[in-house]
Amino acid sequence: MTEEAPLLELKGITKRFPGVVATDGVDFDLQLGEVHALLGENGAGKSTLMNVLYGLYQPDEGEIRIKGKPVAMTSPREAIDLGIGMVHQHFMLIPVMTVAENIVLGVEPTREKVLLDEAAAEERVKRIAETFKFAIDPHARVEDISVGQQQRVEILKALYRGAEILILDEPTAVLTPQEALELFGILRTLTEEGMSVIFISHKLHEVLEIADRVTVLRRGRKIETLPRQGATQEQLAKLMVGREVFLRVDKKPAEPGEPLLQVKGLDVLDQRGLPAVRNVSFEVRAGEIVGIAGVDGNGQSELIDALTGLTRAQSGVIRIAGEDITRDSTRERFDEGIGHIPEDRQRRGLVLDFTLAENIGLHEYRNEPNSRFGWLRPSRLIALARRLLKEFDVRGGTPTTLASSLSGGNQQKIVIAREVERDPRVLVAGQPTRGLDVGAIEFVHNRLIAERDEGRAVLLVSLELEEIMSLSDRILVMFGGRIVGEYGPDVTEEELGLAMTGGRREAVA
Amino acid sequence: MSVTPPAPAPETQEAYSLRAGIQERAGGVLIPLAATFLAFLIGGLVVLLTGHNPITAYRAIFEGAGFNWPYQWLTGQETRESARDLEQTLRSATPLILAALAVAFAFRCGLFNIGGQGQYWVGFIFALLVGTHLEGLSRPLHVGLCIVAGIVGGALWGGIAGFLRATVGAHEVITTIMLNWIAIYGGKWLFELNGPLQGAAPSLPRSAIIFDSSTLWIIWSPYLHAGFLIALAALVVYFIILNRTTLGYEVRAVGFNAEAARYSGIGVRKNYFLALAISGAFAGLAGTVDLLGVKQAVDQSDFDTNFVAFTAIAVALLGRNKAVGIFFAGLLFAALSTGTSSRNLNPEVFEPALATDLATMIQALVIFFVGAELLIVYIWRSRRYLRLGRSTAEEPAPL
Amino acid sequence: MIDLHRNVRAVSAVGIGLGLVAFLLTLPPFTIRTTVIPIVIGLGALALGLAALSQGERRLGGFAIAIAFLGTLGGLWAQGVDQTTLEAVLTGGLLASTLRFATPLAYAAMGGIFSERSGVVNIGLEGMMLVGAFFGVWGSIWSGSWVVGLLMAMLSGGLLALIHGVFSIHLRADQIVSGFAVNLLALGLTGYLYSSIYPDGTVKGQIKRVPSLEQLLGFLDWVPGADLSLLVWLMFLTVLLSYIVLFKTPIGLRIRAVGEHPRAADTVGISVYRVRYAAVVTSGVLAALGGAFLSIGFTGRFTENMTGGRGYIALAAVIFGKWRPGWAFVATLLFGFGFALAIPLQREADISSNLISILPYLLTLIAVAGVIGRSIPPAAVGRPYVKQ
Repeated sequence: MTEEAPLLELKGITKRFPGVVATDGVDFDLQLGEVHALLGENGAGKSTLMNVLYGLYQPDEGEIRIKGKPVAMTSPREAIDLGIGMVHQHFMLIPVMTVAENIVLGVEPTREKVLLDEAAAEERVKRIAETFKFAIDPHARVEDISVGQQQRVEILKALYRGAEILILDEPTAVLTPQEALELFGILRTLTEEGMSVIFISHKLHEVLEIADRVTVLRRGRKIETLPRQGATQEQLAKLMVGREVFLRVDKKPAEPGEPLLQVKGLDVLDQRGLPAVRNVSFEVRAGEIVGIAGVDGNGQSELIDALTGLTRAQSGVIRIAGEDITRDSTRERFDEGIGHIPEDRQRRGLVLDFTLAENIGLHEYRNEPNSRFGWLRPSRLIALARRLLKEFDVRGGTPTTLASSLSGGNQQKIVIAREVERDPRVLVAGQPTRGLDVGAIEFVHNRLIAERDEGRAVLLVSLELEEIMSLSDRILVMFGGRIVGEYGPDVTEEELGLAMTGGRREAVA
Repeated sequence: MSVTPPAPAPETQEAYSLRAGIQERAGGVLIPLAATFLAFLIGGLVVLLTGHNPITAYRAIFEGAGFNWPYQWLTGQETRESARDLEQTLRSATPLILAALAVAFAFRCGLFNIGGQGQYWVGFIFALLVGTHLEGLSRPLHVGLCIVAGIVGGALWGGIAGFLRATVGAHEVITTIMLNWIAIYGGKWLFELNGPLQGAAPSLPRSAIIFDSSTLWIIWSPYLHAGFLIALAALVVYFIILNRTTLGYEVRAVGFNAEAARYSGIGVRKNYFLALAISGAFAGLAGTVDLLGVKQAVDQSDFDTNFVAFTAIAVALLGRNKAVGIFFAGLLFAALSTGTSSRNLNPEVFEPALATDLATMIQALVIFFVGAELLIVYIWRSRRYLRLGRSTAEEPAPL
Repeated sequence: MIDLHRNVRAVSAVGIGLGLVAFLLTLPPFTIRTTVIPIVIGLGALALGLAALSQGERRLGGFAIAIAFLGTLGGLWAQGVDQTTLEAVLTGGLLASTLRFATPLAYAAMGGIFSERSGVVNIGLEGMMLVGAFFGVWGSIWSGSWVVGLLMAMLSGGLLALIHGVFSIHLRADQIVSGFAVNLLALGLTGYLYSSIYPDGTVKGQIKRVPSLEQLLGFLDWVPGADLSLLVWLMFLTVLLSYIVLFKTPIGLRIRAVGEHPRAADTVGISVYRVRYAAVVTSGVLAALGGAFLSIGFTGRFTENMTGGRGYIALAAVIFGKWRPGWAFVATLLFGFGFALAIPLQREADISSNLISILPYLLTLIAVAGVIGRSIPPAAVGRPYVKQ
């Protein structure tokens, strides 16, 4: 690189959370006028690093230098004063206010010292927007404009405050491909005008398109910094995913039976009413594990919600063992043979203030012998819980312990025990090992294999490639709400990584 | 996630969950006790600042509530007054406990039912309609019908708020406040001069009097009526519904974590409606026993002065929405009100006018302190307690 | 798209107008006496309202339907009443009386708007009004000056609001529980102090009342309504200022930002806690002024629990007025008009004032139920903010 001190330097940044080292001695630097991409999987430490830079977290070790001078970044306010602007993944915009109001908030222009000068605010916003060739209506309400435009408002907010360094956290996660292209155009204009950009992403093709340099993080460590020239998607995918030893799971080859879960032409909208799952079709047979791989936010959660009846499908058919359940309620689906291990066990899988017995009974409380004519028989639930706690080796609690006092792994065992106990034909597991320790992960994995061998159809949705690869008998890749590829268990990570990041499209009917 | 926290060893975990359980239960008792203590302390300070002796004042209130009766009874020095005082305390605890159950039941479903007063009045009026009609029924039947009517009336009023919450998502705090005042002014209208339900005396804004066949039995002469037993039974019913029925199980699941309840197929909206309707039923029952056991009729002015269900909010908060807690909290607040009434408090020791307001202040302070556990926790020592609270919170550690 | 929208609005506006006409035609000076006319006109209004509703104009369309019903009912009622009664009810004093009822509500409602706009629910308005009423009297007797009375009222309201603030902002107690406790505390405290300072309700010393405009500035006696209390005029100013502060100044922008999305405000360096404290204390000061109007502004005395639920009506006005000073003020005028009308209606036409008292609450209930457009509170209202 150049000889003079870079615009920004992070040196040996280490940030620990209880039990976790989020970043471990990471170095990072940014040159004037460049786009420097920060690439890594979920949980690789990208966000932590940027929150340190933005003054939201204090690092345990390491220092930050701007133009060669060490600075202490203790609050976002200081970061803003030092010319750092951040565009958060979840926009920090107030929907009911206008674009101009959002931009000037906190540094408002005034008339007669007390009155808000809306005309001046809109004028200034317009001027900055023109400088950087943005098209935006300062008078529009934020809730009425598109997500892509909202993002521009966030960028303008930073520019208005005199930012010279712009941090974009997963900026394309919420954008359509078209909007993403427009964003790249904007970023190019910005760097031509002398701005420097840190671009956080896990999408390879984007990084190769926009970045001048790429720094790859994995598990809190910096792996490498390399220039875009000469870098390939395959190379980056390998660096990003790594070649760690798999948590190998012993399993027999699958012996798939009849199809138990069939999905045809499924379309699902997300909470904002935008299409999240587009024309998805697949089936899962008895005795096999089908893994759905994909980067977060590509429609996996909405797919699970539609399968379990938590959201209504726009169109398409879902069948369990041949029976159409598309219009059934969540409860009916459970009775028809779906078991569901939710993505977030603490928020959705468990009632933390309930005892273990009560949590285990979340479906079965309605049925004999646990209740009769609406009368609950807690002793039966406790007996059931006692048996399952033993069978699933749950430690640290008795049937009357509160679920909140268990460790994550044992909490997940409770969820799995509950869902498996009902002898479901189809088991849907959403990120079943998220946040678990190695021992618990192993338990969950073995259990899923065991359930497969019992003859259940297991649908595994996970963001962890390793997990998908070591467990699945077939792998489907979701990208942009579609299934873009189907692979056997012997696929390589690079292939999967490419498909997951939109690097390759194999249309699957 | 690639980096995961190490799991604590099994032994320490066992110990940890045990400790957490004990602290949970201890905190459940300690915080209300501490809140009550603080409230009385500050109340005493006000008494002191306005030139009275707090200790004699509190003692007079204690005796005015009849709490010295058990001691006298044991030592054989029983006096007529203290027995009557105690009867009055138990009598006024009756609607307090019932109306507090109305707050508590909704609370266990994650809802704040501020509308107990309106539900109380609608139940009261429904029971009044039955009690002033159907002459000649046998007493158990007539009383039974009145109770059913009162429960239905309260459930109806609570059900409106529940329906609005379940269908259009209107916040129950706002709707129940509005329904309170609609019931209060509606009641004043019904019993005003020439009002639709005004009683026989043409010059009195007052209802007709219920037939003797619909009055509750007196179980401890002269004051205490069988409504007290109904309140005790309601406490048991409350406990049973919540802990021994599938309905209560669903209500609690929704109250603790509506999202998880939805994920396991429980109808969240249905439970919102049911919880508020059942809440209303408890408040309606409170109005009913007040009518059948004490009032037997209603004056228009009662609607301006009777706020028993508001006090009951404090009872439920102090009792932590638990049956046993509500019983004791109800007793405490009933004692505060009888102990400070002009009939029971010796005006030479402490003026009843002051004492009534002192009681109101103490109630307010109790609510503040129970509501702000953080404050008690600050005052206590414990940073350790805070840490425990955080580790059991729903959010995972940041990554 | 926009034009169509305008047309639909015009349709509902005509519907509202027709509904009013249905009523007005039966009143003096028109005094039409056939049942057909109000019914026909009312049906017309109803049709227009339904048409607007079907085009997606929920707010005005629903309003037109409501007015159609009320107008027709009112018209039919008025026809059954003789003309002298009607004239006795609709006197010129009605306006002044409306303002007197609306003034305390308007102060408290403006206070409520500040607090709720910043994200803190304030059902403690009732209590803050009550301390204002008491300390206004106390200050005025103690000092012999109504100015000091008002200042004491504002101070006490601000302090009580500060307690609410500490509990609901810093200690993160449930804001509704805290507000409820504020009401009880005020009830007990004012009652206690009143009985303690003025035993048997006898006030030693003179309560100085807030003067009217003409008493204060004699040369202005030609102004219509110059005999109204200064506080009434101050109320107009307060409403105007509330609007300006909330929507025309940086402070207002920040208050609204904190109430909508506190984290967004925090990330641009606005202190969420400071803004919320300021807004809550302001709400207490304003509510207390409303309370002071009841005691030293109007009746010239204090009685226990003299606010009698007005704080809750102010809260209803806040919701009914969709957290906007102008609309909330209109709501307080509407409620005030109802109360002002209730007295002569009771006296002359034997219509229960209690029945009319139900209206504000019923209208608010209908409003939150979403029949007349949806009342959407500030997004972060009721949620304690935890700094990152």
